[in-house]
Amino acid sequence: MGRIIKIARDFSLTPGSRYKDEGNFSAEEFREDILTPEYCEAVKNGYKLTIDFDGALGYGTSWLEASFGGLARKYGVQDVLNVLIFVSTEEPYLIEDVINYIKNAKG
Amino acid sequence: MRRFDKRRVNRKRKRDQKLWIRRIDSKVRRKARRLRNDVIPKDERRIHYTNPHYEICRAPEQLSFVHHPDETIGFLNSLEHLFSKKKKTFVDLSQTYFIDIGVIAALLSVMNLFKAKGIGFNGNSPKYFAARKLLYDSGFFKELFNPSENEFEFGEKNQLHTQGSKKVIAELSEPLTIQTGYTIFNEKRIFKGLHRVLMELQMNTNNHAVIGVKGAKPWCLSVRHDFEMKKVHFSFVDYGVGIFESLYNKPESNKWFNIMNRVSERIIHGKQYEVLKLLLDGELHRTATGKSYRGKGLPGIKEVQIRNQINNLHVITNKAYADVANDSYKELKNHFSGTFVSWDIGSSNSNILWAE
Repeated sequence: MGRIIKIARDFSLTPGSRYKDEGNFSAEEFREDILTPEYCEAVKNGYKLTIDFDGALGYGTSWLEASFGGLARKYGVQDVLNVLIFVSTEEPYLIEDVINYIKNAKG
Repeated sequence: MRRFDKRRVNRKRKRDQKLWIRRIDSKVRRKARRLRNDVIPKDERRIHYTNPHYEICRAPEQLSFVHHPDETIGFLNSLEHLFSKKKKTFVDLSQTYFIDIGVIAALLSVMNLFKAKGIGFNGNSPKYFAARKLLYDSGFFKELFNPSENEFEFGEKNQLHTQGSKKVIAELSEPLTIQTGYTIFNEKRIFKGLHRVLMELQMNTNNHAVIGVKGAKPWCLSVRHDFEMKKVHFSFVDYGVGIFESLYNKPESNKWFNIMNRVSERIIHGKQYEVLKLLLDGELHRTATGKSYRGKGLPGIKEVQIRNQINNLHVITNKAYADVANDSYKELKNHFSGTFVSWDIGSSNSNILWAE
Protein backbone atom coordinates (compact mmCIF):
# COMPACT_ATOMS: atom_id res chain seq x y z
CA MET A 1 0.00 0.00 0.00
CA GLY A 2 1.60 3.23 -1.14
CA ARG A 3 1.12 6.87 -0.41
CA ILE A 4 0.35 9.74 -2.76
CA ILE A 5 1.71 13.27 -2.81
CA LYS A 6 -0.62 15.46 -4.84
CA ILE A 7 1.48 18.55 -5.36
CA ALA A 8 -1.45 20.95 -5.99
CA ARG A 9 -3.18 19.81 -2.77
CA ASP A 10 -0.24 19.07 -0.49
CA PHE A 11 2.16 21.83 -1.53
CA SER A 12 1.03 24.58 -3.90
CA LEU A 13 -1.03 25.32 -6.99
CA THR A 14 1.93 27.33 -8.27
CA PRO A 15 5.25 25.57 -7.62
CA GLY A 16 7.93 28.22 -8.00
CA SER A 17 11.68 28.61 -8.02
CA ARG A 18 14.62 26.31 -7.34
CA TYR A 19 15.86 27.64 -3.99
CA LYS A 20 14.07 29.23 -1.01
CA ASP A 21 15.96 32.51 -1.37
CA GLU A 22 14.64 32.97 -4.92
CA GLY A 23 10.94 33.08 -4.00
CA ASN A 24 7.96 31.24 -2.53
CA PHE A 25 7.00 27.59 -3.11
CA SER A 26 10.51 26.62 -4.11
CA ALA A 27 11.70 23.12 -4.93
CA GLU A 28 14.02 23.25 -1.94
CA GLU A 29 11.03 23.88 0.33
CA PHE A 30 9.02 21.06 -1.28
CA ARG A 31 11.91 18.62 -1.12
CA GLU A 32 12.78 19.36 2.50
CA ASP A 33 9.27 19.68 3.94
CA ILE A 34 7.31 17.11 1.96
CA LEU A 35 9.19 14.93 -0.50
CA THR A 36 12.15 13.80 1.60
CA PRO A 37 10.14 12.86 4.75
CA GLU A 38 7.59 10.96 2.64
CA TYR A 39 10.37 9.28 0.62
CA CYS A 40 12.17 8.16 3.78
CA GLU A 41 8.92 6.85 5.21
CA ALA A 42 8.26 4.94 1.99
CA VAL A 43 11.75 3.40 2.01
CA LYS A 44 11.45 2.48 5.68
CA ASN A 45 8.10 0.77 5.23
CA GLY A 46 8.86 -0.66 1.81
CA TYR A 47 6.04 0.91 -0.16
CA LYS A 48 5.87 3.03 -3.33
CA LEU A 49 5.41 6.80 -3.23
CA THR A 50 3.21 8.22 -5.97
CA ILE A 51 3.75 11.80 -7.13
CA ASP A 52 0.65 13.27 -8.75
CA PHE A 53 1.34 16.36 -10.87
CA ASP A 54 -2.28 17.05 -11.84
CA GLY A 55 -4.23 20.04 -10.60
CA ALA A 56 -1.33 22.51 -10.40
CA LEU A 57 -1.14 25.46 -12.77
CA GLY A 58 2.14 24.20 -14.24
CA TYR A 59 5.75 23.53 -13.36
CA GLY A 60 8.98 25.32 -14.13
CA THR A 61 11.78 23.02 -15.27
CA SER A 62 14.08 24.25 -12.50
CA TRP A 63 11.51 23.30 -9.89
CA LEU A 64 11.15 19.77 -11.31
CA GLU A 65 14.89 19.29 -11.61
CA ALA A 66 15.70 20.60 -8.16
CA SER A 67 12.92 18.59 -6.50
CA PHE A 68 13.47 15.16 -8.03
CA GLY A 69 17.05 15.53 -9.31
CA GLY A 70 17.86 16.93 -5.86
CA LEU A 71 16.34 13.87 -4.18
CA ALA A 72 18.31 11.56 -6.48
CA ARG A 73 21.54 13.42 -5.71
CA LYS A 74 20.97 12.70 -2.02
CA TYR A 75 19.56 9.17 -2.09
CA GLY A 76 20.85 7.74 -5.37
CA VAL A 77 19.32 7.55 -8.84
CA GLN A 78 18.25 3.93 -8.81
CA ASP A 79 16.79 4.01 -5.30
CA VAL A 80 14.69 7.04 -6.11
CA LEU A 81 13.47 5.52 -9.38
CA ASN A 82 12.56 2.32 -7.53
CA VAL A 83 10.43 4.10 -4.95
CA LEU A 84 8.74 6.92 -6.87
CA ILE A 85 5.83 6.53 -9.27
CA PHE A 86 4.79 9.52 -11.35
CA VAL A 87 1.26 10.35 -12.46
CA SER A 88 0.28 13.17 -14.83
CA THR A 89 -2.80 12.91 -16.99
CA GLU A 90 -2.84 16.65 -17.72
CA GLU A 91 0.82 16.93 -18.78
CA PRO A 92 2.08 13.41 -19.64
CA TYR A 93 5.40 14.79 -20.98
CA LEU A 94 6.33 15.75 -17.40
CA ILE A 95 6.89 12.10 -16.47
CA GLU A 96 9.61 11.56 -19.06
CA ASP A 97 11.19 14.91 -18.19
CA VAL A 98 11.31 14.12 -14.46
CA ILE A 99 12.73 10.65 -15.03
CA ASN A 100 15.46 12.23 -17.14
CA TYR A 101 16.21 14.81 -14.46
CA ILE A 102 16.61 11.95 -11.98
CA LYS A 103 18.81 9.90 -14.32
CA ASN A 104 21.00 12.92 -15.08
CA ALA A 105 21.30 13.99 -11.44
CA LYS A 106 24.93 14.31 -10.43
CA GLY A 107 26.16 14.17 -6.87
CA MET B 1 3.21 129.07 -11.18
CA ARG B 2 3.88 125.60 -9.96
CA ARG B 3 6.37 125.36 -7.11
CA PHE B 4 9.45 123.23 -7.61
CA ASP B 5 8.93 120.17 -5.49
CA LYS B 6 12.13 118.26 -5.01
CA ARG B 7 10.41 115.22 -3.48
CA ARG B 8 8.01 114.96 -6.39
CA VAL B 9 10.86 115.11 -8.90
CA ASN B 10 12.73 112.39 -7.09
CA ARG B 11 9.65 110.19 -7.03
CA LYS B 12 9.19 110.65 -10.77
CA ARG B 13 12.85 109.89 -11.41
CA LYS B 14 12.60 106.68 -9.44
CA ARG B 15 9.41 105.68 -11.24
CA ASP B 16 11.05 106.28 -14.63
CA GLN B 17 14.05 104.31 -13.56
CA LYS B 18 11.82 101.38 -12.60
CA LEU B 19 9.96 101.56 -15.86
CA TRP B 20 13.22 101.67 -17.78
CA ILE B 21 14.59 98.67 -15.89
CA ARG B 22 11.37 96.79 -16.48
CA ARG B 23 11.52 97.61 -20.20
CA ILE B 24 15.15 96.43 -20.41
CA ASP B 25 14.27 93.36 -18.41
CA SER B 26 11.46 92.38 -20.70
CA LYS B 27 13.70 93.08 -23.68
CA VAL B 28 16.36 90.78 -22.23
CA ARG B 29 13.76 88.19 -21.40
CA ARG B 30 12.30 88.36 -24.88
CA LYS B 31 15.74 88.01 -26.39
CA ALA B 32 16.56 85.05 -24.12
CA ARG B 33 13.27 83.41 -25.04
CA ARG B 34 13.98 84.00 -28.74
CA LEU B 35 17.39 82.38 -28.33
CA ARG B 36 15.90 79.46 -26.43
CA ASN B 37 13.16 79.08 -28.98
CA ASP B 38 15.77 78.78 -31.70
CA VAL B 39 17.05 75.59 -30.13
CA ILE B 40 13.88 74.16 -28.63
CA PRO B 41 11.36 72.83 -31.15
CA LYS B 42 8.04 74.65 -31.04
CA ASP B 43 6.01 71.73 -29.72
CA GLU B 44 8.47 71.03 -26.90
CA ARG B 45 8.54 74.58 -25.55
CA ARG B 46 5.56 74.14 -23.26
CA ILE B 47 7.19 71.10 -21.63
CA HIS B 48 10.42 73.05 -21.22
CA TYR B 49 8.69 75.93 -19.51
CA THR B 50 6.70 73.64 -17.16
CA ASN B 51 9.64 71.27 -16.48
CA PRO B 52 12.65 73.59 -16.82
CA HIS B 53 15.21 71.24 -15.30
CA TYR B 54 14.19 68.12 -17.20
CA GLU B 55 15.76 66.68 -20.33
CA ILE B 56 13.05 65.84 -22.81
CA CYS B 57 13.11 62.44 -24.45
CA ARG B 58 10.58 62.19 -27.24
CA ALA B 59 9.06 58.80 -27.96
CA PRO B 60 8.59 57.65 -31.55
CA GLU B 61 5.10 57.63 -33.04
CA GLN B 62 4.89 53.87 -32.81
CA LEU B 63 6.30 52.17 -29.77
CA SER B 64 6.35 48.45 -30.26
CA PHE B 65 9.03 45.85 -29.63
CA VAL B 66 7.39 43.43 -32.00
CA HIS B 67 6.61 45.72 -34.95
CA HIS B 68 9.17 48.55 -34.60
CA PRO B 69 12.01 47.10 -32.54
CA ASP B 70 14.79 49.41 -33.76
CA GLU B 71 12.96 52.70 -33.08
CA THR B 72 11.64 51.42 -29.76
CA ILE B 73 15.02 50.16 -28.56
CA GLY B 74 16.64 53.40 -29.77
CA PHE B 75 14.18 55.37 -27.62
CA LEU B 76 14.74 53.15 -24.57
CA ASN B 77 18.50 53.45 -25.05
CA SER B 78 18.14 57.26 -25.01
CA LEU B 79 16.33 56.96 -21.69
CA GLU B 80 19.05 54.71 -20.34
CA HIS B 81 21.68 57.18 -21.55
CA LEU B 82 19.95 59.99 -19.64
CA PHE B 83 19.77 57.70 -16.60
CA SER B 84 23.50 56.98 -16.81
CA LYS B 85 24.10 60.77 -16.93
CA LYS B 86 21.76 61.15 -13.92
CA LYS B 87 19.62 63.64 -15.81
CA LYS B 88 16.05 64.36 -14.74
CA THR B 89 14.02 63.05 -17.63
CA PHE B 90 10.68 63.96 -19.13
CA VAL B 91 9.23 61.34 -21.48
CA ASP B 92 7.23 63.04 -24.20
CA LEU B 93 4.68 60.52 -25.41
CA SER B 94 2.40 63.15 -26.97
CA GLN B 95 3.07 62.12 -30.56
CA THR B 96 2.84 58.39 -29.90
CA TYR B 97 -0.26 56.88 -31.46
CA PHE B 98 0.55 53.19 -31.07
CA ILE B 99 2.01 51.66 -27.96
CA ASP B 100 2.17 47.99 -27.06
CA ILE B 101 2.16 46.52 -23.60
CA GLY B 102 5.73 45.32 -23.95
CA VAL B 103 6.86 48.90 -24.07
CA ILE B 104 4.81 49.69 -20.98
CA ALA B 105 6.71 46.94 -19.19
CA ALA B 106 10.00 48.41 -20.45
CA LEU B 107 8.99 51.95 -19.44
CA LEU B 108 8.12 50.65 -15.98
CA SER B 109 11.53 49.02 -15.77
CA VAL B 110 13.24 52.25 -16.79
CA MET B 111 11.09 54.26 -14.40
CA ASN B 112 12.13 51.92 -11.59
CA LEU B 113 15.79 52.57 -12.44
CA PHE B 114 15.24 56.33 -12.12
CA LYS B 115 13.19 55.97 -8.93
CA ALA B 116 15.75 53.68 -7.33
CA LYS B 117 18.42 56.36 -7.77
CA GLY B 118 16.09 59.24 -6.86
CA ILE B 119 16.43 60.87 -10.29
CA GLY B 120 13.42 62.89 -11.47
CA PHE B 121 11.26 61.07 -14.01
CA ASN B 122 8.13 62.55 -15.51
CA GLY B 123 6.15 62.41 -18.69
CA ASN B 124 2.97 63.21 -20.54
CA SER B 125 0.37 60.97 -22.08
CA PRO B 126 -0.23 60.32 -25.77
CA LYS B 127 -2.61 62.67 -27.58
CA TYR B 128 -4.18 59.69 -29.30
CA PHE B 129 -7.04 58.03 -27.48
CA ALA B 130 -6.18 54.33 -27.97
CA ALA B 131 -2.58 54.73 -26.82
CA ARG B 132 -3.62 56.94 -23.93
CA LYS B 133 -6.31 54.48 -22.81
CA LEU B 134 -3.87 51.57 -22.87
CA LEU B 135 -1.47 53.50 -20.67
CA TYR B 136 -4.18 54.54 -18.21
CA ASP B 137 -5.75 51.09 -18.05
CA SER B 138 -2.40 49.49 -17.40
CA GLY B 139 -2.05 51.51 -14.20
CA PHE B 140 1.21 53.00 -15.49
CA PHE B 141 0.39 56.53 -14.35
CA LYS B 142 -0.85 55.28 -11.00
CA GLU B 143 2.51 53.61 -10.56
CA LEU B 144 4.33 56.75 -11.71
CA PHE B 145 2.60 59.14 -9.31
CA ASN B 146 1.31 56.91 -6.47
CA PRO B 147 3.55 53.86 -6.36
CA SER B 148 2.09 50.91 -4.50
CA GLU B 149 4.08 48.74 -2.15
CA ASN B 150 2.54 45.54 -3.49
CA GLU B 151 4.61 43.32 -5.72
CA PHE B 152 2.02 43.52 -8.45
CA GLU B 153 -0.97 45.70 -9.09
CA PHE B 154 -3.96 45.22 -11.33
CA GLY B 155 -5.09 48.18 -13.38
CA GLU B 156 -8.49 48.64 -15.01
CA LYS B 157 -10.19 45.53 -16.37
CA ASN B 158 -7.45 43.20 -15.16
CA GLN B 159 -4.66 44.91 -17.10
CA LEU B 160 -1.60 44.22 -15.06
CA HIS B 161 1.86 45.41 -14.42
CA THR B 162 4.34 44.26 -11.83
CA GLN B 163 6.50 46.51 -9.73
CA GLY B 164 9.84 45.34 -10.98
CA SER B 165 10.42 42.37 -8.75
CA LYS B 166 13.80 40.74 -8.28
CA LYS B 167 12.29 37.58 -6.79
CA VAL B 168 10.40 34.76 -8.43
CA ILE B 169 6.70 35.37 -7.73
CA ALA B 170 5.12 31.97 -8.32
CA GLU B 171 1.75 32.98 -6.88
CA LEU B 172 1.31 35.63 -9.59
CA SER B 173 0.22 32.87 -11.98
CA GLU B 174 -2.96 32.14 -10.04
CA PRO B 175 -4.84 35.43 -10.56
CA LEU B 176 -3.40 35.66 -14.07
CA THR B 177 -4.68 32.20 -14.98
CA ILE B 178 -8.12 32.89 -13.52
CA GLN B 179 -8.45 36.20 -15.36
CA THR B 180 -7.16 34.73 -18.62
CA GLY B 181 -9.81 32.02 -18.37
CA TYR B 182 -12.58 34.57 -17.80
CA THR B 183 -11.43 36.79 -20.69
CA ILE B 184 -11.27 33.92 -23.19
CA PHE B 185 -13.91 31.41 -22.00
CA ASN B 186 -15.85 33.28 -19.34
CA GLU B 187 -14.93 30.60 -16.81
CA LYS B 188 -11.95 29.38 -14.78
CA ARG B 189 -9.51 27.43 -16.93
CA ILE B 190 -5.94 26.24 -16.48
CA PHE B 191 -3.34 27.18 -19.11
CA LYS B 192 -0.38 25.01 -18.21
CA GLY B 193 2.00 26.88 -20.51
CA LEU B 194 1.45 30.22 -18.80
CA HIS B 195 2.92 29.21 -15.44
CA ARG B 196 5.81 27.37 -17.16
CA VAL B 197 6.74 30.44 -19.23
CA LEU B 198 6.48 32.81 -16.28
CA MET B 199 8.66 30.55 -14.14
CA GLU B 200 11.34 30.09 -16.83
CA LEU B 201 11.54 33.84 -17.45
CA GLN B 202 11.61 34.87 -13.81
CA MET B 203 14.24 32.23 -13.03
CA ASN B 204 16.27 33.41 -16.01
CA THR B 205 16.24 36.99 -14.76
CA ASN B 206 16.92 35.95 -11.17
CA ASN B 207 19.89 33.74 -12.09
CA HIS B 208 21.44 35.29 -15.20
CA ALA B 209 20.51 39.00 -15.54
CA VAL B 210 23.72 40.06 -13.83
CA ILE B 211 26.84 37.97 -14.32
CA GLY B 212 27.68 36.08 -11.14
CA VAL B 213 24.99 37.74 -8.98
CA LYS B 214 21.56 36.27 -8.22
CA GLY B 215 18.44 38.40 -7.91
CA ALA B 216 20.20 41.62 -8.81
CA LYS B 217 17.92 42.92 -11.57
CA PRO B 218 14.17 43.41 -11.53
CA TRP B 219 11.77 42.13 -14.13
CA CYS B 220 8.48 43.62 -15.26
CA LEU B 221 5.43 41.93 -16.68
CA SER B 222 2.57 43.65 -18.48
CA VAL B 223 -0.66 41.94 -19.39
CA ARG B 224 -3.39 43.19 -21.69
CA HIS B 225 -6.78 41.55 -21.95
CA ASP B 226 -8.32 41.93 -25.39
CA PHE B 227 -11.98 41.27 -24.64
CA GLU B 228 -13.08 41.68 -28.28
CA MET B 229 -10.62 39.20 -29.73
CA LYS B 230 -10.76 37.01 -26.60
CA LYS B 231 -7.01 37.01 -26.28
CA VAL B 232 -4.56 37.91 -23.55
CA HIS B 233 -1.17 39.44 -24.40
CA PHE B 234 1.81 39.07 -22.10
CA SER B 235 5.11 40.97 -22.20
CA PHE B 236 8.07 40.33 -19.96
CA VAL B 237 11.11 42.61 -19.78
CA ASP B 238 14.29 42.59 -17.80
CA TYR B 239 17.14 45.04 -17.96
CA GLY B 240 19.86 42.53 -17.33
CA VAL B 241 22.89 41.99 -19.51
CA GLY B 242 20.91 40.05 -22.10
CA ILE B 243 21.46 36.47 -23.20
CA PHE B 244 24.60 36.95 -25.28
CA GLU B 245 26.49 39.06 -22.79
CA SER B 246 25.64 36.39 -20.23
CA LEU B 247 26.86 33.58 -22.51
CA TYR B 248 30.12 35.39 -23.35
CA ASN B 249 30.96 35.75 -19.68
CA LYS B 250 30.55 32.22 -18.35
CA PRO B 251 33.37 31.11 -16.03
CA GLU B 252 35.63 28.20 -17.04
CA SER B 253 33.94 25.88 -14.57
CA ASN B 254 30.56 26.43 -16.25
CA LYS B 255 29.32 23.98 -18.88
CA TRP B 256 28.48 26.97 -21.11
CA PHE B 257 32.06 28.31 -21.01
CA ASN B 258 33.39 29.20 -24.47
CA ILE B 259 30.11 28.08 -26.02
CA MET B 260 30.31 30.71 -28.77
CA ASN B 261 33.55 29.29 -30.09
CA ARG B 262 32.23 25.75 -29.79
CA VAL B 263 29.28 26.55 -32.06
CA SER B 264 31.16 29.01 -34.31
CA GLU B 265 31.14 26.72 -37.35
CA ARG B 266 27.35 26.64 -37.21
CA ILE B 267 27.08 30.44 -37.26
CA ILE B 268 27.32 31.33 -40.95
CA HIS B 269 27.05 35.14 -40.83
CA GLY B 270 28.46 35.65 -37.34
CA LYS B 271 25.21 37.27 -36.20
CA GLN B 272 23.50 37.05 -32.82
CA TYR B 273 20.16 36.02 -34.30
CA GLU B 274 21.77 32.81 -35.56
CA VAL B 275 22.92 31.99 -32.04
CA LEU B 276 19.47 32.84 -30.67
CA LYS B 277 17.94 30.36 -33.11
CA LEU B 278 20.40 27.66 -31.99
CA LEU B 279 19.60 28.47 -28.39
CA LEU B 280 15.82 28.31 -28.84
CA ASP B 281 16.16 25.06 -30.80
CA GLY B 282 18.11 23.51 -27.91
CA GLU B 283 21.24 23.09 -30.06
CA LEU B 284 23.37 25.24 -27.77
CA HIS B 285 22.33 23.14 -24.79
CA ARG B 286 23.15 19.96 -26.68
CA THR B 287 26.62 21.29 -27.52
CA ALA B 288 27.24 22.48 -23.97
CA THR B 289 26.15 19.33 -22.18
CA GLY B 290 26.59 16.65 -24.84
CA LYS B 291 23.17 15.35 -23.86
CA SER B 292 19.82 15.46 -25.55
CA TYR B 293 18.05 18.63 -24.67
CA ARG B 294 15.62 18.54 -21.73
CA GLY B 295 13.67 21.74 -22.30
CA LYS B 296 15.08 24.09 -19.69
CA GLY B 297 15.07 27.89 -19.82
CA LEU B 298 14.36 29.76 -23.05
CA PRO B 299 14.22 26.62 -25.22
CA GLY B 300 11.59 25.33 -22.81
CA ILE B 301 9.47 28.35 -23.71
CA LYS B 302 9.72 27.47 -27.40
CA GLU B 303 8.55 23.96 -26.50
CA VAL B 304 5.53 25.50 -24.82
CA GLN B 305 4.65 27.16 -28.12
CA ILE B 306 5.25 23.91 -30.03
CA ARG B 307 2.81 22.20 -27.64
CA ASN B 308 0.28 24.91 -28.60
CA GLN B 309 0.08 26.24 -25.06
CA ILE B 310 0.92 29.80 -26.21
CA ASN B 311 0.97 31.78 -29.49
CA ASN B 312 3.05 34.51 -31.12
CA LEU B 313 6.22 34.03 -29.13
CA HIS B 314 8.73 36.85 -29.73
CA VAL B 315 12.15 37.15 -28.15
CA ILE B 316 14.47 40.17 -28.32
CA THR B 317 17.82 40.20 -26.61
CA ASN B 318 20.88 42.33 -27.34
CA LYS B 319 20.86 42.60 -31.16
CA ALA B 320 18.85 39.48 -31.90
CA TYR B 321 15.15 39.42 -32.80
CA ALA B 322 13.10 36.23 -33.04
CA ASP B 323 9.54 35.84 -34.24
CA VAL B 324 9.46 32.22 -33.16
CA ALA B 325 6.00 31.37 -34.47
CA ASN B 326 6.96 32.39 -38.00
CA ASP B 327 10.53 31.09 -37.69
CA SER B 328 11.75 34.59 -38.56
CA TYR B 329 15.04 35.78 -37.08
CA LYS B 330 16.91 39.03 -37.74
CA GLU B 331 19.71 41.29 -36.51
CA LEU B 332 18.69 44.62 -35.00
CA LYS B 333 20.46 47.94 -35.59
CA ASN B 334 20.23 48.94 -31.94
CA HIS B 335 21.56 46.93 -29.02
CA PHE B 336 18.95 46.10 -26.39
CA SER B 337 20.56 45.70 -23.02
CA GLY B 338 18.22 43.10 -21.58
CA THR B 339 15.67 40.55 -22.65
CA PHE B 340 12.14 41.04 -23.94
CA VAL B 341 9.71 38.15 -24.41
CA SER B 342 6.08 38.41 -25.51
CA TRP B 343 3.36 35.87 -26.18
CA ASP B 344 -0.43 35.54 -26.45
CA ILE B 345 -2.96 33.07 -25.16
CA GLY B 346 -6.24 32.60 -27.02
CA SER B 347 -9.08 30.11 -27.37
CA SER B 348 -7.08 27.91 -29.75
CA ASN B 349 -4.42 27.19 -27.13
CA SER B 350 -4.62 24.02 -25.11
CA ASN B 351 -6.31 24.41 -21.73
CA ILE B 352 -8.26 22.38 -19.21
CA LEU B 353 -11.21 23.10 -16.98
CA TRP B 354 -10.22 24.25 -13.50
CA ALA B 355 -11.40 21.52 -11.13
CA GLU B 356 -12.04 22.98 -7.66
